[in-house]
Amino acid sequence: MTLSSTSPTADARTPGPRPAVPRPAEPGRLRTVLSRYGARLIIGVLLALYGVVSLYPFLWMVSAAFKNQIEVVRGGHLIPHHPTFDTLVNTWNQLHFFRYFVNSIEVTAMTVGLTLVVYAAAGYAFAVLDFPGRGALQKMFVALLFVPGITVMLPIVLLENKLSILGTHIGLVLPFVNGGAPLSILLLTGAFSAVPRELREAARVDGANEFHIFTRIYLPLAQPALITVGLLTVIPTWNEYLLTSVSLNDPSTYTLPLGLQTLASESVPHYNSLMAGALIVVVPVVLLFLSLQRYFVNGLVGAVKG
Amino acid sequence: MTTAPRPALTEAAAAGRGKDPRPAGTGRLGRAPRPRRRGYESLSGYLFVAPAVVLFLVMGLYTVGYGFLLSFATWNGFSPSWTWVGLQNYKDLLWANPMYAPQVQKAAIHTFYVMVAVPLLTVLVSFPLAILLNSAKRFQGVLRSIYFVPYVTSGIAVFFAWTYILQPDGAVNSLLSTLGLGSLSQPQGWLGNPHTALPTMIVVTVWGAVPVSMLLYLTGLQTVDRNLLEAAQLDGAGWWRTNASVVWPLLRPITAIVVLLNLRDSLQGFQTFLVMTNGGPGDHTNVLGLEAYTLAFLKDLAPTLGLASALGWLLFAAALVIALINLRMLRSRT
Repeated sequence: MTLSSTSPTADARTPGPRPAVPRPAEPGRLRTVLSRYGARLIIGVLLALYGVVSLYPFLWMVSAAFKNQIEVVRGGHLIPHHPTFDTLVNTWNQLHFFRYFVNSIEVTAMTVGLTLVVYAAAGYAFAVLDFPGRGALQKMFVALLFVPGITVMLPIVLLENKLSILGTHIGLVLPFVNGGAPLSILLLTGAFSAVPRELREAARVDGANEFHIFTRIYLPLAQPALITVGLLTVIPTWNEYLLTSVSLNDPSTYTLPLGLQTLASESVPHYNSLMAGALIVVVPVVLLFLSLQRYFVNGLVGAVKG
Repeated sequence: MTTAPRPALTEAAAAGRGKDPRPAGTGRLGRAPRPRRRGYESLSGYLFVAPAVVLFLVMGLYTVGYGFLLSFATWNGFSPSWTWVGLQNYKDLLWANPMYAPQVQKAAIHTFYVMVAVPLLTVLVSFPLAILLNSAKRFQGVLRSIYFVPYVTSGIAVFFAWTYILQPDGAVNSLLSTLGLGSLSQPQGWLGNPHTALPTMIVVTVWGAVPVSMLLYLTGLQTVDRNLLEAAQLDGAGWWRTNASVVWPLLRPITAIVVLLNLRDSLQGFQTFLVMTNGGPGDHTNVLGLEAYTLAFLKDLAPTLGLASALGWLLFAAALVIALINLRMLRSRT
């Protein structure tokens, strides 16, 4: 079967007669209809197939998390024959996962909070205020995008050791916030630039100072961009493993990824409890993404246009 | 003020823009003869950027400078002083030291494979995927969410899941057997066989890179002028021709961004490799980022910190060159 010359999408989106195209004879028309359905079927199958590819490791993670030790070793089947919550419960209890969970939330919340405060202010200055050196500063932050993480990781660890904040959560938060600077500034500057200047002028006439204009006018109007930046910060921070693993020593400060690593470095890794741990790490951030995803998509569209 | 209905405001903004196309510069000129207000604006500008700049000076500039100096010294992290060695670290890494140079060269070759394969495959998967998804009428939102799961879960948790299904008795091998392709299955596991380990890692990396790239293409597709596509179809161009000869060239800037992002990540990223193979089997999946990480953090008392910094700077230089070439190409094409 060949894809006919009339695109299925164009047809669907432009209903009504198109006089420029001569109407085909009946048999040809039937073929067009058939191939249109055929094309849609192929598109549907391909899209579904990639959906399975996207979810594949995730599906097996869920599957193993609900299997017991015997069943996970036997392997082979996706749907557990004897689904059990014991694996999840035991994994949660076994490794102070609650402690790690709280730590992860603490680090992520501080990182997101600080990112939003610091870069909303900076984005406002770059977008709205006029001051000498603005362009140079802005370029400097974008250039940061090209400094490899590994280049600065060692100096950060050495510096924090000197400042005695190595191994603390604040010692993680500060480099995380700084690492998110380029993207956050880019998105927030774009959002603030889109706010009509007339609003600012009007507020000034009414006697509002710069801080009031920022908090009462610009921040509420940039809410979607703030959520986008927050989400773009939450995801990598929640999953961060590299700097965390070389920074934290005391198990009581561990975040979820480190807890998971502890689970994996047992002499014989039990894949059911490892996958249960992985599920505990992944589920909160998936839920958060699903509930806020429209902001994410729109925010990225804004970033591309800008 | 905070509860002001946003749609009305945006409409007002649109209307305002419509009837008053005066550029922002005019407003600035109008303000010029009032120096006191300018001073106030500059001052508040500096106050607003101050926290970001301070953080950057400490966590960014200081660390970068420190790392740059360290790349010209040897140090084990504990002894009280550095020993200055000039460019020796760079020479050792590139050719001089028989202990490090061959390893670095091999890691460079692996990194090169990853840098060629990952951007190429990511574009080859995400561009058609975006086209197909854009033409889907139902389930578009649901599918987009599903395609985004790899990005959201990207991290140590999902890499362990990959390790699990790539085991000798894992899901990938049993899927191949079920499909009657048992001869393709890997009895040593996909990461255990030296010949399949690096290609497997490339596939996992592409899997993680497709979501953002696909979304970038999708947003690009939504800006393509539909009249242009209809014109192409009226001229007799089929579905394939339209996408290959009209849409693909129009989205070239997006391709440039996708390639740049993936080149950068392939050059610098090593987390997947650290978690899934740690460079193994042997050193068949060792990449430059992982080599730098090993030199920096896993050599205990050996004085390799200068070497690690030097390697980090070589990576930085490479990233900069790639970014400049990419930007140049982007400019010349548009």
